Amino acid sequence: MADSVSEQRSRPAADAADPATALRCERVAREYSRGRDSLFSRGGDAPTVRALDGVSLSIATGEFVAIAGPSGSGKSTLLHLLAALDTPTTGDVTVAGTDVRSLSSRQRTTLRRDTIGIVFQHFHLLPALSARGNVALPLIERGVSKRDRRARADELLEQVGLGDRAGHKPGELSGGEQQRVAIARALVSDPAVLIADEPTGELDTETGQRVLDYIEQTASERAVVVATHDDHVIDRADRVIRLRDGIVVSDA
Amino acid sequence: MPRRHRLLGILGLAVRRVLGRLRTSSSKQVLLSVVGVALAVTLMTTVSGIALGMGAENAIQSEDVDYWVVPEASTASSVAVSVGSPQLGNTHEITARLDQDERVEYATPVQTQLVRLAPGDNESTDEFILAAGIIPPEEPTTVVGVPTDALEPGDPHYANGTYEGPRTGELVLNEAGAELLGVSAGDEVTAEVGNSRATFTVADVRQGDVSSGVGPVPVALVHLSELQTMTGSTSGDLADQLLVSTNTAGVKSDIERLYPRTSVVTQTGLAVRGASTSSLPLAMAAVSLTVAVLVGVLFVATMMGLEVNADRRNLAVLSAMGYRTGSQTLLVVAETVIVATIGGVVGVVTGIGGIFLTNALTQELLGVQVALFDPILVGYSVAVAAAIGLVSSVYPAWLTWRTPTLEAMSHD
Repeated sequence: MADSVSEQRSRPAADAADPATALRCERVAREYSRGRDSLFSRGGDAPTVRALDGVSLSIATGEFVAIAGPSGSGKSTLLHLLAALDTPTTGDVTVAGTDVRSLSSRQRTTLRRDTIGIVFQHFHLLPALSARGNVALPLIERGVSKRDRRARADELLEQVGLGDRAGHKPGELSGGEQQRVAIARALVSDPAVLIADEPTGELDTETGQRVLDYIEQTASERAVVVATHDDHVIDRADRVIRLRDGIVVSDA
Repeated sequence: MPRRHRLLGILGLAVRRVLGRLRTSSSKQVLLSVVGVALAVTLMTTVSGIALGMGAENAIQSEDVDYWVVPEASTASSVAVSVGSPQLGNTHEITARLDQDERVEYATPVQTQLVRLAPGDNESTDEFILAAGIIPPEEPTTVVGVPTDALEPGDPHYANGTYEGPRTGELVLNEAGAELLGVSAGDEVTAEVGNSRATFTVADVRQGDVSSGVGPVPVALVHLSELQTMTGSTSGDLADQLLVSTNTAGVKSDIERLYPRTSVVTQTGLAVRGASTSSLPLAMAAVSLTVAVLVGVLFVATMMGLEVNADRRNLAVLSAMGYRTGSQTLLVVAETVIVATIGGVVGVVTGIGGIFLTNALTQELLGVQVALFDPILVGYSVAVAAAIGLVSSVYPAWLTWRTPTLEAMSHD
């Protein structure tokens, strides 16, 4: 195993200039200071936790990649970095050819808006909005007109099989339907990268399989990265990256 | 264009989120914010209505009167100050000239004076009553809330300034005055001002108009020259005010020419003038505004701050989707203003109810209505509520700015 780890850590990342490479990490480490945000912490001497340690990987457009590993292995941290929600302590993360570390917070927000779609484990749909309103949400920030937002949202809801549920509020939808709305929302801007955090974690097996079908369908046009504990997801992924203690232990 | 779509989209999102939370009562904070602003605005609207009423109801009012002519240093908005304040001179002659103008329906000077009245010759039961000396017009009208028709038209005792014409000795009392003195029509009363005494006959007792500005105050109407004789105002033919009824707005400039150093106050302008010249109503309105804004801002800022804290996951999700901090801040500011404005609208409705309730109560207890509803109060109160929302949005906006995006990915 030690050899395997060593091999993975030294494995070179794909060429960022390759247009097929949607995501790339190179010797990425992420450390957090314990208690740094505490009101009484003095900083400087606070002990640090290394959530990721020297992770290098590249994911091409059209790949459906599962990131697996036990709790605390660094899956979420890696997902945050790939989704440009966070920046690495050391190393480089490139999303669609853009070096995330060189971007300001505002620029990273714009990168997410234009390039990345995110599916959350708990769906995170806005309860006051209908399914259509939730799907159209990302388009508001892009300055799309109301008519075009509505048309695009209806199109996406049709694709995920919820055309007849467009006017329903999240509270009126089942868990599987809510997750399909969340997928439609993540795809409404046609992002180059789709990041999903435990997308089947809240669903029963059958509903989870149906949600996976929709995710799989979109993978041909973009890079899809799914953090999961679910063996069904792992079985259907093109590639599985396993993490343990912040280190990639296998990538196959 | 995209910017406009983004702005409109965020404002629409704010409206839907607020209405959604109110409809489902899912957010106690939003509901409490609406209630808090509503209470503050209710208080402010009601007190402002009372202040407006106080400012407007202190004039000597007469139905159909369009202009009040008052000395420049005096004020049309106070009955009381007319005693000892600058007066108008040559009032009979000026009134006669005004009466000759076809555009003028009637004109009468008014002199007000506190008079000690006693029934018959029983001086031990005398009472102070507000006497108003007028020149009763041919067509009956109402002055100080008392109809003039029981008085002989004109002012015979004046007799071209000689004050030697026949004295009518007529006096009309309102019900409050008659009750106070215990007299009725046909009774004699003795009037005393300083060392001057005269006897009058109660020509009639009439129901006074409580909204006349003097409310339930005991009032007596007499001929002007007969009051002037008692008060020593015959020299110079003095009176406190001149009431002019006309259908023609152009008369105003003629009146101003007749009395160069006077203020000619229009009926519509009287309420505003009254409010602006009386410091108590202004102070009341200012205090109610300050209290409403302070209470509203503290309440809304605290409640919406808690709401942002409860809603941080959703805000983080918006950020994860690519909503910039500015867009999220705009969303929260818009939501806060909308919540406060809804509270303002509710507060205006209950505030108007408060005005009517106040009037009903004071009518029952004091016999007079003290509050006044002016449609401008609606716009004023809603604008104040929106301002409360805008000012208090600073705190929730600051909390929004500090919400970490990673909150969206938290699993708990």
